[in-house]
Amino acid sequence: MRKPSKLIGLIFFVLICQLTMAQNKIVTGKLSDSMGRGIPGATIQEKKTKHFATTNKDGNYEITIANSGVLQVSAVGYEPGEFSTTGKNEVNIVLKQNTVALNEVVVTALGVKRDKRNLTYSTQELKGEVLTNSKEPNLVNAMAGKVSGVQITSSAGTAGASSRIVIRGATSATGDNQALFVIDGVPINNDETATGGAAGAGTNRVSDIDPASIENITVLKGAAATALYGSSGAKGVVMITTKSGGIDKKPAINFSSELSFEKALIPERQTKYGQGINGIFSNGEDQKTSASWGPLMDTLKINGSAAPKYDPWKSFLRKGITTNNSVSVSGGGATSSYFLSYSYYNQQGVVPVNDYKRHSLFAKYNTKIYKNLTSTFQLGYTNSNQTRLPEGWVNGPLFVLMGQPISWNPYPVLNTDGSQRLYRFSRNPPLWSVDNMKNNATVNRFIPVLTFNYTPLSWLTVTERLGADIYTEQNNYYNAPSPALGPADSEDPNASGSVRNANTNFRQFNNDLIINAHKAFNKFDVNLLLGNNIYSNYSQYVTVSGTKLTIADFYNVSSAKDIKGSEAYYQQRKVGFYSQANIEYNKILALSLTGRYDGSSVLAKDKQFYPYGSAALSFIFSELFPKSNSSFMNFGKLRFSYATVGNDGVGAYQLGTPYILASRASGNFPFQGQPGFLLSETLGNSTLKNERLNEYEVGLEAKFLNSRIGFEASYFHRKSTNGIIPGVAISAATGYTGTTVNSASIENKGVEVLVNASPIKSKDFNWDLTVNFSTIHNKVLQLYPGLNQLGRLIVGQPYNIFYGDKYARNASGKLLVDADGHPFADGQGIVGNANPEWLGGMSNSFRYKQFSLDIFFDVKKGGDVWNGVDSYGTFYGTAKATEHRSDFVLDAVSAVDGKANTIVIKAQDYYRNNQLYEAFVQDGTFIKLRTASLTYRLDPSLLKRTIIKTLSFSVTGRNLWIYSPHFTGADPEVSSWGTANGDVGVYAFSSPTSRSINFALKLGF
Amino acid sequence: MKRSFIILILSTALLGGCKKYLDVNKDPNNPVDVQEALILAPVEANISDNIFGGNAAINIQYFVQTIAPNQENPGNWSYQLFNSYFDGDWTAFYVSGLNNLRILNDKAEASGKSNYAAIAKILSAYVLGTATDLWGDVPYSQAFQGDKNFTPVYDKQDAIYTSVQDLLAKGIADIEKAGVIVPGGDDYFYNGDMDKWKKLAYTLQARYYMHLTKAPGNTAAAQADKALQALNNAMQSNDDDLKFQYEGINTWGQSFDPVSTAVLSSTFVNKLVTTNDPRLPKLVKKADGTGLYNGRTVGDPVGSLDQYSYPSAWVAGTGAANYIVTYSEALFLKAEATFIKSGAAAAAPIYIQGIQAHFLKLGFDITAAAVTGYINSRSLTANNAIQRIMEEKSIANFLNIENFTDWRRTGYPTIAKVNGAMSDIPRRLLYPESERLSNAQMQQAAKITDKLWWDQ
Repeated sequence: MRKPSKLIGLIFFVLICQLTMAQNKIVTGKLSDSMGRGIPGATIQEKKTKHFATTNKDGNYEITIANSGVLQVSAVGYEPGEFSTTGKNEVNIVLKQNTVALNEVVVTALGVKRDKRNLTYSTQELKGEVLTNSKEPNLVNAMAGKVSGVQITSSAGTAGASSRIVIRGATSATGDNQALFVIDGVPINNDETATGGAAGAGTNRVSDIDPASIENITVLKGAAATALYGSSGAKGVVMITTKSGGIDKKPAINFSSELSFEKALIPERQTKYGQGINGIFSNGEDQKTSASWGPLMDTLKINGSAAPKYDPWKSFLRKGITTNNSVSVSGGGATSSYFLSYSYYNQQGVVPVNDYKRHSLFAKYNTKIYKNLTSTFQLGYTNSNQTRLPEGWVNGPLFVLMGQPISWNPYPVLNTDGSQRLYRFSRNPPLWSVDNMKNNATVNRFIPVLTFNYTPLSWLTVTERLGADIYTEQNNYYNAPSPALGPADSEDPNASGSVRNANTNFRQFNNDLIINAHKAFNKFDVNLLLGNNIYSNYSQYVTVSGTKLTIADFYNVSSAKDIKGSEAYYQQRKVGFYSQANIEYNKILALSLTGRYDGSSVLAKDKQFYPYGSAALSFIFSELFPKSNSSFMNFGKLRFSYATVGNDGVGAYQLGTPYILASRASGNFPFQGQPGFLLSETLGNSTLKNERLNEYEVGLEAKFLNSRIGFEASYFHRKSTNGIIPGVAISAATGYTGTTVNSASIENKGVEVLVNASPIKSKDFNWDLTVNFSTIHNKVLQLYPGLNQLGRLIVGQPYNIFYGDKYARNASGKLLVDADGHPFADGQGIVGNANPEWLGGMSNSFRYKQFSLDIFFDVKKGGDVWNGVDSYGTFYGTAKATEHRSDFVLDAVSAVDGKANTIVIKAQDYYRNNQLYEAFVQDGTFIKLRTASLTYRLDPSLLKRTIIKTLSFSVTGRNLWIYSPHFTGADPEVSSWGTANGDVGVYAFSSPTSRSINFALKLGF
Repeated sequence: MKRSFIILILSTALLGGCKKYLDVNKDPNNPVDVQEALILAPVEANISDNIFGGNAAINIQYFVQTIAPNQENPGNWSYQLFNSYFDGDWTAFYVSGLNNLRILNDKAEASGKSNYAAIAKILSAYVLGTATDLWGDVPYSQAFQGDKNFTPVYDKQDAIYTSVQDLLAKGIADIEKAGVIVPGGDDYFYNGDMDKWKKLAYTLQARYYMHLTKAPGNTAAAQADKALQALNNAMQSNDDDLKFQYEGINTWGQSFDPVSTAVLSSTFVNKLVTTNDPRLPKLVKKADGTGLYNGRTVGDPVGSLDQYSYPSAWVAGTGAANYIVTYSEALFLKAEATFIKSGAAAAAPIYIQGIQAHFLKLGFDITAAAVTGYINSRSLTANNAIQRIMEEKSIANFLNIENFTDWRRTGYPTIAKVNGAMSDIPRRLLYPESERLSNAQMQQAAKITDKLWWDQ
């Protein structure tokens, strides 16, 4: 019986214990920070029980617990802790502020890391994960809609197409308005290249950067933030920080594999009427016309049977398929760390021939050479390759395809005699183009960065950073001879056949030597920085091209009858000396002063050097709040800044007026054996000085409810003066078509708002919300005295208006019609504005246990688009609008008698006679469900026994929904001709954008 | 004190080094100076390509109804014109043309190459004369000063005419200096034959005198006298023509490519058909699809390109030439002047020589019955003299801008405005939009139907 008694004894003991533990007591106390201020809203829980309390607004709490319970305390912004209550009824707890949470470190100009709390200007950070989750290979597109004050305009749906990024509005009349990209402190090139051979957008070179190698990016928006970058940063800076290994970190291998399918978003067209004119059918064989003003297909009989329909898109487009695989290894020992990654991105575009492939390799090695000397060496290598067809209306197949009558069978592509078969004259059949023209661009790019940090004294750091950006581009284009466009000996290369090989060599070197001193004494914290920058870039363009091809399907320049070559190279250098002082007082006030003195090789000899600088102040007013207030608003900061930045804003060799190799429509001299030069059409300006950008900015940052809600808003006003306009138009009577002036002025005013919120935060369910909003109003103030218009720039108007033929209207704005009942032109004028009224983005992240759902919407309100596809489509009778073909009376006033119009007109006459520019400027407003992504992360505990540490699977949809109430194409987010200033908002026969679904698998070992 | 001194020394040295580092702005791609021969060749090509055969010239052919694009109305061909359509023309006339000719002249004068200076002046006269015949008042006396004058005023047309004659006279004087340096292959037009240049200068003198037969302040008789005087030294044979010989397709061939959809106008084709002109097959190609001579009538529905006639290969094919100023024109000018001075009987033989010169150029045997029959059917009387001279001149000057000037001066050959015309037949071109934006002048308000000074 002993055994049972022992058992009973044990049970008794346990019961006693339970009873003892169940003896509750009440513990009270105050939770405060290191300065003695109460921490409201904190969670206090007894360990291993459900006993739970929260602190009140003063930080006081009261909790009922077991006698000897341990308190687990957690509060947002503080390091959690455990506190014993044994023998106590009052426990006052002091929590340490969580430096990670509050002292958000951001990367600022020159790669200097600073505490966001004290920053005197606006920045916005995006995590690398946000970029990769967008499933966009082009970093610029990956940022779209996510950063306030930043406008991103993608050019086309072509795989590898360029995208434009402008921060806080355009400030240069015709020069570069796009942001500077900087990788780990070293500027890189973002030119749009591969534009020379075939019409259509090229590739912006930042797309060579693999988003998977990026830890995060910081966008420096205003001049105060970028003043240290000087000239090149005047248009805003995107700072890219790449991934690193970690000290004493075991090797971690991450593998990610993605597969996505893309479906083209094609514009609607009419499918009711066949080829012909005046309702009379043309068969497209011996009766050719570009018009689809033929008979109703439903009643059309060919040889007694119902006429079949042929969907032009169906014969041409294909399913896009993209794979993206990447692998990375990172880790480190006691004194060094490493990160290695490789990705291969392979996209097959929805338009035939078009694909984009990118191999990217990135390696970073960080080591402590000596106790106070560390070095980092990194090298990025990218091999990218884009192949595409020409776009636009000159010789692009999409132009012909979009005009293709629904009644015309695109097969066979060739006639029995081998000639091109098409429904109309003077163009290439689209399917013929697929086999007979191609533009290919291969880029090999190296971006090495070498950084040394020497810390001889605890408060002194010397940084030496040398970086380069070196790439070559081989751009090859060919088109076969096309009898449809002209004879074999035509001077038109599109007719006679052409081959063009353009090689670009680009290299850029950047060196910074920075001395940084940091010391805190009394209530002051002082940071002084002195530095020097040396920069040079060199680009060389060598082109050989041949026309009048003589050998079928052989696209070497040796096949050409006429061969021409050209070469050009450009060199530009800069030096800069800079200094910065950041002085903080008592964590309440921060003053930042910068000064820079730059010299640029491209300006007039006596005006090469120019100084500038900035002053900024931030005031953390929440420090002054009585403690009781801090539960509602736990952080509040006001900031003010003023900056004046100089910029060289012009390419090399603009000072003189040289002779230029003469050219004819069909190519450069020599012509018929004679060499020839003409004086440059652009008059040099030997007195060029720097341009200037002045900006003031006011900002408010606040955090509420223990940082559950964050709010940032900025107002800025920036004005460029002495703006350089290279080659600005002047009267031909001067003997020149243009010169370079130093007189442009453009103003941008705007508001940027960013709100972060975590409405729900719990163990199993989180909801995070980010909303950004920006509105920018810009105005061209001056071009040069005497010139009020330069293309799409008009003094007193926003940057990039649409200007062209407009309709005659009466005094009250009502459309006028002529004696025949048709509207007519009344000269040219402003007919649209490409600038949006505002931009917004909203990202929602929901996480429930192992599932997360991310949904991102963005909105563009306003911003006109010129719909060139409809301009042609209405004329040809393919546009959706031309589906309604009954006679009608325009709601207008007769210009003849001033009375209401009563004249009945034919739809065909109306659409074919109304090719005015104004008619096709459409409001480009859109709301897009840009991405929605569902991710499942396997519970790590399930993987304990495997070598796998993390495993996740996600499905992402892109462009799932587009609401564009005024634009009649499929996707108003388009700029068919590329990223140049004047191309913004032009939609003209570029590859359709697509909707995609992406499956991604991520594994970590 | 000592420390600041060191800083000063250091920074001076540093900045000095920087200045040297930044000294890389010398253009390696384009020469600072070139010799005359290198300028002459592209200037001549520009005149043939872009002034004789460019955008303005094509629009002129719409107005005089030799070209009708296979396009729906409205368009340039139905007189829907915008100022911006002519931006590029002023680049050809003023920048590639006149400013480079000015530089060529200045260089040649400075280096004593009087023949180059002569050519520069004669070609300047041609370009300036063509410009004023298209736009009326145009910049000249204040032009070509670069940034010293961004807004040159427009000179009155009569002043421009004085400048044209002045350039021609000085050009002739330069040739008479008998400089030893003559151009070679860089002179596409005459390969350095200065006698031919001189004949051209006199022919142009006559052309521009005759343009002013009804200009205010001038009399037809006085202008005819001056023209006849100049014509004594003008072109003597078809060999003297100012023509640009292309090895490949000439500019007209390119202008009639399938993409432009330009085809011949029915007005022109029908004229040759109804007069049984033997030159028809030499100048006009039958429609590929139909084998018929068929021009397009503006305003008709768009048809198939292969149902229309194109210019012949001789006019617009591989190896074709642009005939800019011809011996025939010299003869027709002489016939017109002679008619004004001495009547139809005196003018008739010269008129016939003019027609014959053109037949000869096209390779006809002018004694053949078809040719003599045609010429006999086109006889001159006091009543029809100006009409006949202009009709024949316009065929000999097929695709020449001069036909527009002659029509404005004389009303011949008669043309009616096209179907669907947006206005009466234009009597000038619009000033370029680029001019209106960068150099506002009151003349720019001109409408296409406004008449020039000499066209009153």
